[in-house]
Amino acid sequence: MTQPSSEAVRPIIEVRGLGKNFVVKRSLLGRPLASVGAVDDVTLSLMPGETLAIVGESGCGKSTLGRLLMRLIKPSAGEVFIDGQNVTDLSHAVMREQRRHVQLIFQDPYASLNPRMTIAQTIAEPLMLHDIVPANQRARRVAELLEMVGLRAEQANRYPHEFSGGQRQRVVIARALASEPKAIICDEAVSALDVSIQAQILNLLKDLQKRLGLAFVFISHDLGVVKHIADRVAVMYLGKVVETGMSDEIFAAPRHPYTRALLSAIPVAAPPSHQRPKASRLLGDLPSPLSPPEGCRLHTRCPHVRPECKIVSMKLDVEASGHANACAFWRELPAQDAAEVAREPRNPKLEKLFAAFEAMAANRPAQTVTGG
Amino acid sequence: MSTSQNTLENQSARSVRADDASASVLDVKNLRVIFEGDTHTVTAVDGVSFSVKKGRTLAIVGESGSGKSVTSLAVMRLLPEHSARIFGSVSFDGRQLLDETKIGMRSLRGNRLAMIFQEPMTSLNPSYTIGEQIIEVILRHRQMSKKEATERAIAMLKLVRIPSPETRYYQYPHNLSGGMRQRVMIAMALACDPELLIADEPTTALDVTIQAQVLELMRELQQKTGTAIVLITHDLGVVAEACDDVIVMYAGQVVEQCSVEELFTFPQHPYTVGLLGSLPRLDEKRERLVAITGTVPDMANPPPGCRFQARCPFRVEECAEMPELMEVSAGHSSRCWRAPMEDLVP
Repeated sequence: MTQPSSEAVRPIIEVRGLGKNFVVKRSLLGRPLASVGAVDDVTLSLMPGETLAIVGESGCGKSTLGRLLMRLIKPSAGEVFIDGQNVTDLSHAVMREQRRHVQLIFQDPYASLNPRMTIAQTIAEPLMLHDIVPANQRARRVAELLEMVGLRAEQANRYPHEFSGGQRQRVVIARALASEPKAIICDEAVSALDVSIQAQILNLLKDLQKRLGLAFVFISHDLGVVKHIADRVAVMYLGKVVETGMSDEIFAAPRHPYTRALLSAIPVAAPPSHQRPKASRLLGDLPSPLSPPEGCRLHTRCPHVRPECKIVSMKLDVEASGHANACAFWRELPAQDAAEVAREPRNPKLEKLFAAFEAMAANRPAQTVTGG
Repeated sequence: MSTSQNTLENQSARSVRADDASASVLDVKNLRVIFEGDTHTVTAVDGVSFSVKKGRTLAIVGESGSGKSVTSLAVMRLLPEHSARIFGSVSFDGRQLLDETKIGMRSLRGNRLAMIFQEPMTSLNPSYTIGEQIIEVILRHRQMSKKEATERAIAMLKLVRIPSPETRYYQYPHNLSGGMRQRVMIAMALACDPELLIADEPTTALDVTIQAQVLELMRELQQKTGTAIVLITHDLGVVAEACDDVIVMYAGQVVEQCSVEELFTFPQHPYTVGLLGSLPRLDEKRERLVAITGTVPDMANPPPGCRFQARCPFRVEECAEMPELMEVSAGHSSRCWRAPMEDLVP
């Protein structure tokens, strides 16, 4: 995380010591009585062209962090920099202009499109607001954007209800691209889609990143998706980042017990004879974020808990490589079961079948067969 | 406490004695569900057949709109009678469920047939304690005093590993976490030792760590009681982890039917191939996912012939005609003219 801040490459988004408390109960006079620490002391940076994934279970603060990253909400502590500029205390109006550099995509594409606007109007709105192209060229730009996300220009005058879920998400992506952002924050952007459609959208996001040099913050609970798309990963638990590092490193050798538990809990679509052992799974339920446990916040559920865990701090132990984790005792944890890390590769015959499927699909795109 | 545990043991002992490994608990043959609307008619389920054996778990897997949930609701006779027409045969322990009276169904549901749904909060009544909701099922179907029913309910809560069940018994659904609520639903579903449990996306609303706990619990309870389970899911990972046999549904039809081991070793239908390939996996890194192009056909107006042909890269001229579900190898069937898929691999 604490990459040496080279002058050449400046992070698009950088946050330092970020925290956010939500007041959940007030006294009669409006004084806060109880608050939830949704995000606590998070330091992150997003470099141009990279994908940073924020993963964790519900209630871990990943969506709040996403909103803080683009300063949709004001942090209670810490600072946010967008493109080198400190935006922590910017006024609403100034912030609105800044926002064209960072866009946000949500989970449910239907909820984020106005049902009374055609998709051309929807996509042209950011062009108009930020005055990106002159009025007489907007229609052409909308057509370009639609083609960029795999829709046809003649679909521009349709309404959101005429599209399927995957197509709607493409419209939302086109709108996000309209303001020519440097970064897009995807908050569970593919979670509501069926797997075959999800794969289409993930491929599209990767293509766009390559073409436009976009940076993505990918907020997700699905580690399979994260592994596929992310360069770097930050794992959160109850408002704290517990492990962060390069995606390959984290998936190959997770250090924090929570990361290990998350990885071992994911059901793998492989034959039962290839399933992994379940030793490192978590016990019990998520504690209430209103009163997070003292010391290490995982100690109530950790399979490797020891008495000291109630008093240790959750400071990230950062290595030169950037791999950091918040478990004070990770070096003493039992080595990962070899079987858990090294899994048998998939049936080579099946790989060939996938290759044949892809090759044939590339040769002939889906045809439209209408009913009789 | 001891009484209720005894009943539990007695019942499982009885069911073990009656164990006939080959007997199926549920036999569905050629099930068709047609919804009649004002403007058009939709055949949501079109000729689905399957059977579930005692102590086994059958997965029905498919994407949204494939008809997997409608299949389960039709089996339970929970579809609205004024709009849904159901044809075919559903036999449960020798009884034709489609010919049962409403009262007959009511005596089966919750007793010998049980169902759990995706969102536990909408299945639980927020204004009754969880204890009251569990004993309601027991009192309805078993000759027990309220005291005995309470004991049994607490034993069930203990069985699904709810911590301090005696306290939780008197709490309301909003006092419980999502994982715990789903465990309460399981306790309620299993309170009368059903022979068949239909679980419709039981873990979809849960976090992965909790999902792992719930799936493991269902597996364990099944080993104890021998309940047959039909698990409806869109998640192939859940299928791999928790099921024995699987049917894959696409646009209202079964396109592939086999054991879970075979499905993940070498699928025999192009749709399953695409589905498996489009799944980002933890144990490998690939640059691009295999995507199935296009979208599902309009069910009000399905195309003639194979329903997957518009999206299928392997399509040939024969696909204009609807293929039957044909056996490719022992216990492995596929609805595709081009099966076996081995022939398509160079």
